[in-house]
Amino acid sequence: MIELLREAAQKAPDHVAVITPEAATTFAELTERAERAAAALTAKGIRRLAVRESDPVRVFALHGAASLAGAELCVYPLAADAATVATYRERLEHDVLVTREDGHGEGVVDPDELLGWAERATGDLPLDERPVMVMTTGTSGHPQAARHDWGRLLRVAGRINPTPDHRWLLAYGLNQFGGLQILIHVATAQATLVAAETFQPRDALAAMREHGVTHASGTPTFWRFVLTEVRRDGGPVPPLRQVSLGGEAVPSALLDQLRSTFPDARISQIYGATEMGQNITVRDGRAGLPLSVLDEGGDVVFKIVDGELHVRSRSSMLGYHGQEPLAEGQWRATGDLVEVVDDRIMFRGRRSEVINVGGVKVHPLPIEEVVSKVEGVAIAHAFGRPNAMVGNIVALEVVPVPGTDEEELQAAIRAACAHLPRASQPRSITIVPTMETSGNKVNRGTRK
Amino acid sequence: MTPEPAHVRETISTFLQRNGKGTDSLDDATSLWGDGLELDSLDAAELSAVLEDSYGRDPFSVGDAMPDTVGDVVGFYAADAG
Repeated sequence: MIELLREAAQKAPDHVAVITPEAATTFAELTERAERAAAALTAKGIRRLAVRESDPVRVFALHGAASLAGAELCVYPLAADAATVATYRERLEHDVLVTREDGHGEGVVDPDELLGWAERATGDLPLDERPVMVMTTGTSGHPQAARHDWGRLLRVAGRINPTPDHRWLLAYGLNQFGGLQILIHVATAQATLVAAETFQPRDALAAMREHGVTHASGTPTFWRFVLTEVRRDGGPVPPLRQVSLGGEAVPSALLDQLRSTFPDARISQIYGATEMGQNITVRDGRAGLPLSVLDEGGDVVFKIVDGELHVRSRSSMLGYHGQEPLAEGQWRATGDLVEVVDDRIMFRGRRSEVINVGGVKVHPLPIEEVVSKVEGVAIAHAFGRPNAMVGNIVALEVVPVPGTDEEELQAAIRAACAHLPRASQPRSITIVPTMETSGNKVNRGTRK
Repeated sequence: MTPEPAHVRETISTFLQRNGKGTDSLDDATSLWGDGLELDSLDAAELSAVLEDSYGRDPFSVGDAMPDTVGDVVGFYAADAG
């Protein structure tokens, strides 16, 4: 990361790297803070650190610092309370926690002590390993901590051209792999990162309008809520040039809605995972993946084994914390169940989310695909609800478009699902005001 | 709070109408199964979820024996009152 920041600082020192509600920070300022913090990490002998910090400028600079000092940095999610942070620290063996917050016990270091260090590390990159750790969001289980190496993560950075006029919205938490990728892209492209007051879609929409965001990448759940906000407040639609979606399956109805709302934007789907270290981008505007991803030869290659997508990535993680390292070139099951339909690989759901209805295996995504097309549905989530008669029934939670009649909506959903196999038909539909999320992804899996 | 028998019957009736199994003669002796309402396991599973959502518990999940009739379902909640 530091090599990207240094190059940006050399070529465009006064270009604004990050805009937050508090300040604008240039690449020169960002790089200086990173080099000061790198000197601090070395002086203090810190080789591994957790960071819990809401300010993207500090996180950005600390990533640069750790990559220069050869220290393994892991950003914790902001949503984690103090008890959860303590659990993470114990499990991930983080003696040092960099945060401005109180109440986290021993080993706490103020980020500003590091970023304002008197000396500045101006030397070369470390020659040995440059590790960085990224936690999964854990929407379908406990978060895992993936160990990556900067050298592998930045392999694709050389293919990114400078685009200083691009303003990227930060719509992923910086604890997420998607957030880290945005930082890498902005630094490589010498573009500008725009951070909203919070990660809530309403604040994101306000930031897009206020700061002239041109490019935005978020989860499908994030975009559904942005569309709802656009409809709700009736304000101007940001003139986006690119809309990217990733981190969850993308219903075709959402692609249609995004195309009509942002007519000048290129709509891209991103398929990846924290463990892959690199994403693939699908730009044809259709749901699912093209069959060409099964072709050998690229940096990321897929194959389908027993209906599950497996991946091999040249940028893949080194392994999970506390587990044996992965062998080079090893295939890894993604957990995504897929089906080839004509010339397309369509997602059917996570292996862990298959709903067993009286012995019939039901995939939630095709149900959500049907329900998402019903007028008045803003977001839908299908999951298994335990039931004494048949093990599980298909349950639905639905966030309606504002102003929608709930009884009529339920009837419309039932009618739309009437053609599905009986085991796949939702037997419990709950209208909810909003959806429980982690990192702007719907928390999936069995509920009540 | 224990639901009134009439309320339980109305809940069952609403469920039946929604699923195209509406009947004019819903009395306590009506069988839930083949010779009456003809519910299959998925219908019964849905009815159990409806009853649980309405009253917090349902006779299909926690009863000692599976209900056979509408009256058994109504009686399950009436027994709570006793």
